[in-house]
Amino acid sequence: MPSVAAVNVRQRHPIVQVLAVLVLVSVSATVAEAVPAFARKYQTSCQTCHIVFPKLNAFGEAFRLRGYRMPRETEEMVKEKPVSLGAPAYKRLWPKAVWPGEVPSSVPLAVNIKFADVNTSALNPDGTVTSVKNDLQFPQEANIFGAGTLGDHLSYLTEVTFGENPDGSVSVELEHARFDFDSPFGPEDLLHIRIGKFAPNIVDGFQEMWISTDAAIDTTFAYNPVGLAGGTGLAGDLSPAPIAFPDRVRGIEGYGIIKHRALWVAGLVNGISPGANGSFDGNSAKDYYARFDYKIGGMGLDGDTGGKPVPDENWRDDSLRLGAFIYRGDGSNIDFPLAAADGSTVNVRDQHFLRTGFYGSVFVGNLNVFTALVHGSDTLQQFDPLSSVLLGQVAPTYYSWFAQADYLIYPWLQGSARYETVAPGDKSVSSLRTGTFDVSALIRANVKAMFEYQRDLRQGENHSANVLVRFAF
Amino acid sequence: MKRRDAAATVLVVLAGLFLLALGGAPAASIVGTVTASGLSSNADAVVYVAGVSGTPPAAPALMDQVKMQFVPHVLPVVVGTTVNFRNSDPTPHNVFSPDYEKYNLGTWPTGQSKSYTFAKCAKFPCAYTQLCRVHPEMEGFVVVLQNAMFGVSDRQGRYEIAGVPPGKYSLGVWHPKLKAQPKPVTVEAGKPATVDFTLGK
Repeated sequence: MPSVAAVNVRQRHPIVQVLAVLVLVSVSATVAEAVPAFARKYQTSCQTCHIVFPKLNAFGEAFRLRGYRMPRETEEMVKEKPVSLGAPAYKRLWPKAVWPGEVPSSVPLAVNIKFADVNTSALNPDGTVTSVKNDLQFPQEANIFGAGTLGDHLSYLTEVTFGENPDGSVSVELEHARFDFDSPFGPEDLLHIRIGKFAPNIVDGFQEMWISTDAAIDTTFAYNPVGLAGGTGLAGDLSPAPIAFPDRVRGIEGYGIIKHRALWVAGLVNGISPGANGSFDGNSAKDYYARFDYKIGGMGLDGDTGGKPVPDENWRDDSLRLGAFIYRGDGSNIDFPLAAADGSTVNVRDQHFLRTGFYGSVFVGNLNVFTALVHGSDTLQQFDPLSSVLLGQVAPTYYSWFAQADYLIYPWLQGSARYETVAPGDKSVSSLRTGTFDVSALIRANVKAMFEYQRDLRQGENHSANVLVRFAF
Repeated sequence: MKRRDAAATVLVVLAGLFLLALGGAPAASIVGTVTASGLSSNADAVVYVAGVSGTPPAAPALMDQVKMQFVPHVLPVVVGTTVNFRNSDPTPHNVFSPDYEKYNLGTWPTGQSKSYTFAKCAKFPCAYTQLCRVHPEMEGFVVVLQNAMFGVSDRQGRYEIAGVPPGKYSLGVWHPKLKAQPKPVTVEAGKPATVDFTLGK
């Protein structure tokens, strides 16, 4: 029996969608985070792994990909000694004994808190402008992290986000809850197996793109592909969101590093969620994805330097990284009720969809320029909601891309500019084009202030200017 | 020269003549430093003289269980030595080893001991891991060697093997986690020999 999405996806006026996206500034979550639990474990500064947090430097990226282990990590590097859950000799006794493991000596919790002063302006369909001035969202969001390793081959990440809504209610989301088997066999880092709810590695490695890490207008992820003639714009705050390019998945992923330079990723996940009858999966079919990256120059993806000296400035990593990715989804039997032009309701199903794309990142001195292009194709079938008779089918395509430049002016000060665009599947709707400018300053290694300006490049009345303060401990 | 000084000189000369009469030159020591690469401590490396037979001591050795730990963490013994495993904790402890002939001495309460004689070792050194079923995190090692010429490194990596007769030897090293190749050493009478090791994976 077809499942019906819990919230109707109505056709929206593009301007309304832009408004929705601007409002997202106050409610959106982030992909990349800073986890001070690691600073405590290794007794090291945030800047060992981060440039301007949460953006990772090459060492931090290696630390992330290696399952929260430093490149060539030795026992003496770990200052907060773990508690043994069994002597190593018990490995030889298995299966007659429990395989030995470790837990951190203190609960590895970390907290991120954000304050925001939000200013938005949006043009309404009737020509009026809705504006918000100096909405002091103190706090805007709080995240609690638990992350670390559990012995030689296990690691984990959990993240719970608390948001306070204007009506006084509180929203809570379990953003990450994942468990990794790191190099369970074979050469080190060739295979990592991840299960749980997580940001798939087709997205996770792009984390540095989250310039204004609290503004989730991101063309590659937030596009809504469902519409009578194809998608018309961004998904905004729809829940559940039809998949454009998922920022969170529930499933299994394998990834690994080949010869220090190549990254492979393959995943099998639920896909559109939730489904009927309280299930997380919208249907029984699974989505799958893959990615392949190669890095030329700089530090290896696993932190290998090939014996060559690295720059004194640990944010520098003169290199070029190129990648390609693919996501194949199945939305069969999942109905998205839409309002047709005559006022009637039509159920639309995205029978199957394909996302392919390319990613590139270049570091030169203090400059990092990165870009991603996503092409999407959907098979949208329209059904009569009462008789389930197939009324028609369209196969729209869309593409989106962005380019961003980050320049580190001082080790504590970064300026960024970003351009992004979406050409929707519904060709009657013009492309969305957005520009964002950001200045981020580290007041301390774990305290950051940001000023950010975002503008709809088609309609100047739609813009947003925000000041954010974020700290982690 | 006073009469008392003259008497002392005579005694020293007589003692030297006595040693020569016994046919043995004065023994020396081997000292050095062990560096355990990547570890936070350089302790627990057993440096031993290989290829020389010895006899076990008449008295048993002791490995205690104190504050939920095997003490000492590493105990080198001569093959044939009996080791008393004592429980000095208020909680019951067990001792067993999964290595070689494997044994389980059972579980016993505070203040009591059980013994085991390490009489077998086909290829030296034989490292017996000591585990406690009651507390899986506890771990110790009894390292069975051919002779009593051995030393255990401290946290700084320093070790000393005393009472080594002059001669040429091969010096081996055993560590719970790391390894190193044996090194040759020549011991001269009354003169300490220095041999350093760097252990790696």
